[in-house]
Amino acid sequence: MGDILSIIAKRLGLGLITLLVISIIIFFAVELLPGDIAQAVLGQGATEDNLAALRAELGLDRAAPVRYFEWLGNAVTGDFGNSLVSKTSVTEAISARFGNTLFLATYAAVIAVPVAILLGVLVALFRNSVFDRVANVVTLTSISSPEFFLGYILILFLAVKTGMFPAIAKIDDDMTLFDKLNRTFLPALTMVLVVVAHMMRMTRASIINLLSSPYVEMARLKGVPAWKVIVKHTLPNAWAPVINVVALNLAYLITGVVLVEVVAVTKRDFPVVQACCLIFAATFILLNLAADVGSILTNPRLRHPK
Amino acid sequence: MNYFIIGFYALVIGASTLAAYYQKRTAFILLFSLTLVSFVMGIVGGEAMLWGVTLLAGLIAFSAGVSYSFREFLIIILPRDASKEMRTAPLTAGFGLFVIFTYTIAGVFAPIIAPYGEAEVISSAFAPADENMLLGADQLGRDMFSRIIYGARNTVGLALLATILAFLMGATAGLYAATKGGKLDQLLGRIVDVIMSIPSLIFSLLLLSIFGTNTVTLIIVIAIIYAPRVFRLARSVGGNVVVMDYIEAAKLRGEGTWYLIRKEILPNSTAPLVAEFGLEFCFVFLLVAGLSFLGLGIQPPTADWGSMVRENATLISFGEMTPLIPAAAIALLTVAVNFVVDWMLYRSSGLKE
Amino acid sequence: MSQDKSVLLKIKNLRIEGYSDEKWIEIVHGVDLTLHRGEVMGLIGESGAGKSTIGLAAMGFTRDGCRISEGSSIEFDGMELTTTPASDLQSLRGARIAYVAQSAAASFNPAHKLIDQHTEAPVQYRIKKRLESQEDAMELYERLRLPNPREIGFRYPHQVSGGQLQRAMTAMAMACRPDLIIFDEPTTALDVTTQIEVLSAIRDIVDQFNTAAIYITHDLAVVAQMADVIKVLLKGDEVEEADTRTMLENPKDDYTKSLWAVRDFKRDQKPRPTEGLPLISVKNVDASYGDTPVLHDVSFDIFEGMTVAVVGESGSGKSTTARCITGLLPPTSGEVLFKGQPLPPDYRNRTKDQLRQAQMIYQMADTALNPKVKICDIIGRPAQFYSGLHGPELKSRVDELLDLIELDPSQYYNRYPPELSGGQKQRIGIARSLAADPTFIICDEVTSALDQLVAEGILRLLDKLQNELNLSYMFITHDLATVRSIADEVVVMQYGKVVEQGPKDEMFKPPHHEYTDLLLSSVPEMDPDWLTTLLEERGVDDIGEAARASKQED
Repeated sequence: MGDILSIIAKRLGLGLITLLVISIIIFFAVELLPGDIAQAVLGQGATEDNLAALRAELGLDRAAPVRYFEWLGNAVTGDFGNSLVSKTSVTEAISARFGNTLFLATYAAVIAVPVAILLGVLVALFRNSVFDRVANVVTLTSISSPEFFLGYILILFLAVKTGMFPAIAKIDDDMTLFDKLNRTFLPALTMVLVVVAHMMRMTRASIINLLSSPYVEMARLKGVPAWKVIVKHTLPNAWAPVINVVALNLAYLITGVVLVEVVAVTKRDFPVVQACCLIFAATFILLNLAADVGSILTNPRLRHPK
Repeated sequence: MNYFIIGFYALVIGASTLAAYYQKRTAFILLFSLTLVSFVMGIVGGEAMLWGVTLLAGLIAFSAGVSYSFREFLIIILPRDASKEMRTAPLTAGFGLFVIFTYTIAGVFAPIIAPYGEAEVISSAFAPADENMLLGADQLGRDMFSRIIYGARNTVGLALLATILAFLMGATAGLYAATKGGKLDQLLGRIVDVIMSIPSLIFSLLLLSIFGTNTVTLIIVIAIIYAPRVFRLARSVGGNVVVMDYIEAAKLRGEGTWYLIRKEILPNSTAPLVAEFGLEFCFVFLLVAGLSFLGLGIQPPTADWGSMVRENATLISFGEMTPLIPAAAIALLTVAVNFVVDWMLYRSSGLKE
Repeated sequence: MSQDKSVLLKIKNLRIEGYSDEKWIEIVHGVDLTLHRGEVMGLIGESGAGKSTIGLAAMGFTRDGCRISEGSSIEFDGMELTTTPASDLQSLRGARIAYVAQSAAASFNPAHKLIDQHTEAPVQYRIKKRLESQEDAMELYERLRLPNPREIGFRYPHQVSGGQLQRAMTAMAMACRPDLIIFDEPTTALDVTTQIEVLSAIRDIVDQFNTAAIYITHDLAVVAQMADVIKVLLKGDEVEEADTRTMLENPKDDYTKSLWAVRDFKRDQKPRPTEGLPLISVKNVDASYGDTPVLHDVSFDIFEGMTVAVVGESGSGKSTTARCITGLLPPTSGEVLFKGQPLPPDYRNRTKDQLRQAQMIYQMADTALNPKVKICDIIGRPAQFYSGLHGPELKSRVDELLDLIELDPSQYYNRYPPELSGGQKQRIGIARSLAADPTFIICDEVTSALDQLVAEGILRLLDKLQNELNLSYMFITHDLATVRSIADEVVVMQYGKVVEQGPKDEMFKPPHHEYTDLLLSSVPEMDPDWLTTLLEERGVDDIGEAARASKQED
């Protein structure tokens, strides 16, 4: 067990260092702006007074490293400063959206992960059949389509044309869970469609990859039935790539949704952009870490050292 | 019940029965699942839905026909080695190649094919299709069809350039790191980890808002964001080749690093790298489209599929198909490239055994 | 125990086709085989003879991309396997016909404990309850003389050594007390000293349960110990079949005779030159991988024109010594001298001429030649690199080299490595090292991946080249037959140390170092009584003795 703990501790440390480096990149990238932030935000037409006021507000008169540590210190305590556009707290703005995103991502993930793994196992079991080929074409199509295309198609057919589900996914706290689920069904379905295909293909590929290994042949020659060969002899050894792709897709789900919202409003709202960058990078690193730990825990060689 | 519905069911059931009778297993499973789907669709959606199913089935049959003939065409005109390869291509790959071919033609000969100029206003906003305008007009009254043709040139061209740049940077660094190993390898690996853990959309947003949105910065920014992915692949493919005894033999001979990369490693890494190029192109293409969709990519009045989707988005709530057309153009190309890549990956993995 | 001798397996006109290059090609051409209960049949042949394919077909199984042709018949205990539905075949496998694979380390699932894999088939077929089957497993482990038989089953495959895994797999095959077991090269991946334990364990347990077996191998001496009947195969055809003693004493077919004759090649031992410095001198070399020390105080000399064989089992440090000499692994202490001058420890600091003098030939010709480079460029590059040859000069040099290794230049000049056979690839590897015009060549297990007849050809070629070009060889090998035929001097290594060294003829005569003795006596001989005699000689504390005793109690 000691080995595993030290590996995990190492990964954790590495993740923290990565995050620190990212925070430096994010902060100092903004310093590279031609002129300064104030100039960039207010544009050419800004008066000297306006510029001076904004500079004072942002504390640009102090050295960059000082401001970096101040920003980082605040960020760690959850304070990302104020938005340049709305003048309100960035943390508040993001956290509300982040909550919704998490809700949506969890909703999609709860459907997508089991469905993807089940389908992946099924296509691996019936590999090279019609079912497998159709699944291949369909998943490839849905992976390669842009999500707004899928979203539009679903809106067009399920909401506008047939009216089965609401097109606008506005939710608030007063709604019942069922209502929320119903309201957010379309975006969730879009996300499910995007990620299921990817995860399912990876499950299939990593199972098929193992089918030619001697221990699978041995299992067959022991008279183990086909489904049991897949479930008992390949799946336990196929987890690592599957877990990785699940983590990647979860990260995609979480970062994907808010981004589209945030980006559209805040082209030049640097505090918001910086905050998003940092939060999502942290999410990403955390999920990757979880995937690493998952891969280690499912690897019998590491779990049971000599 | 009208004649269409009766005819429809009679056709699918009859065809399934025939397939079953002649023991065409694959055909039977396909036809019978179509029958079952049609029952459900028919009950839920009525006649309109059945028309949809018919249309879809027809569309798939049509594309299959086109793919088949295009593949046969390629088999005939290509030199012997290449045509032998083509014979092994599945229909999906034929379809992919056909779409890529069409897009290339459209992109290269855009000014000749498009009936109107890229930014030419010829009618009122959102005018429906007529004999002058194949697909109607956009939100400013420009010809939708012409803009889609020009979009092929702008969007695809930009994505292609960015991918090539990303590839040059990533593959070179990756193979170099694999060959050299040691500290440099680890350092590059760390840098790549850092860049890859920043979500690509928001990272490009940050960089673009700092450096401004013009075509050159767009290409460089996207290349920087995607080069690490190429690096990882090139590093791992190269890593598998570097452990071979022939590399050891070449090192012991005293060969330099560039010789090793060019003559010994690269020839053994082309298959996965080419396949990755296709995949990478899709990601880059989607990112370009996504950025444009958010107003950060190619700037108006230059025609671009991503921004065209957004500009016409309002129509979606009226049940109009128009905004779907540029979106479909994007989807079709990425699907096509993926079909081809899938075939190539299958081949390269099959050759290993 | 009943001694029923009725027919168990009857294969008639077995034809198997493999799919490659978009067409079906026949790889087994109508083989007949009859096996009685309790009988052990040895299937022997070189690679591509179809031994494994036939072995698997006896279970009604073909690998992906293979199929049994129409008109073949496989009758197991009265049941025709070629027409049996898949589900019935499945319940036959494991229960009545079991399989023991070549690499036990790869054939046990890394995710499950040994005993869980053992009980899988009996529980599946409801032959035994789980606990019953576990109890049975432990008993079998004990009979197969595994250490800690009551605990070893609860370990994962990677926690158990190769020889032990191979015995655990034999136990697993016995789990349902099958009528027939297929052994597919079960000791090929093992060291000779481990091989003996596994061979005697397999032989005893097959005897005890009167199980019939098909024993597949390429090693004649091994099959002589194990089989009652031997069948020789060549390229999917039967050559001949006879009981073991007849086959060994009086082979009929020419091919069989040539297989038997292989071990005849023997070269006279050359004496050391009386004067001059050694060409290569390894002096007190210590080396380690990271923090793990692998070599301890290794010293030996190689004189001009001589062949020094470095012998040892896996993990003995013989290949690491080669890495120290070539400079791929700089030693932690000690040095390597070339004609009395110390070589820089790291190959990157050596001069072009120092690199040229010492060349290397690898075990796996597949990975030693770049598959995407033409033969003429593979051989031509060293000539171009070291001697600056180009144009017609280079071409004539490559032709000359191809002639030296006895391949027709006009035919091979423009081909790629994957188009060649294993022996041809190894010859190209030799040509590449000769192209540098070296004085010293390290041969790292150059014949162990090749069939015996091909290996023989390579040894003769190397010998010829040594005489013509006055080369010195360092011959790394685990195969004592190779040492016997080609070496002048022998260095025996164990656990990273040199155990014993000296001229070949002295080394093969007693008195030996204890380990050399073990190594020498463990090499199977063609005498069918060899294993029995050896086990008796090794004495009372020997493991085989206990098993025989327990058998008498039955």
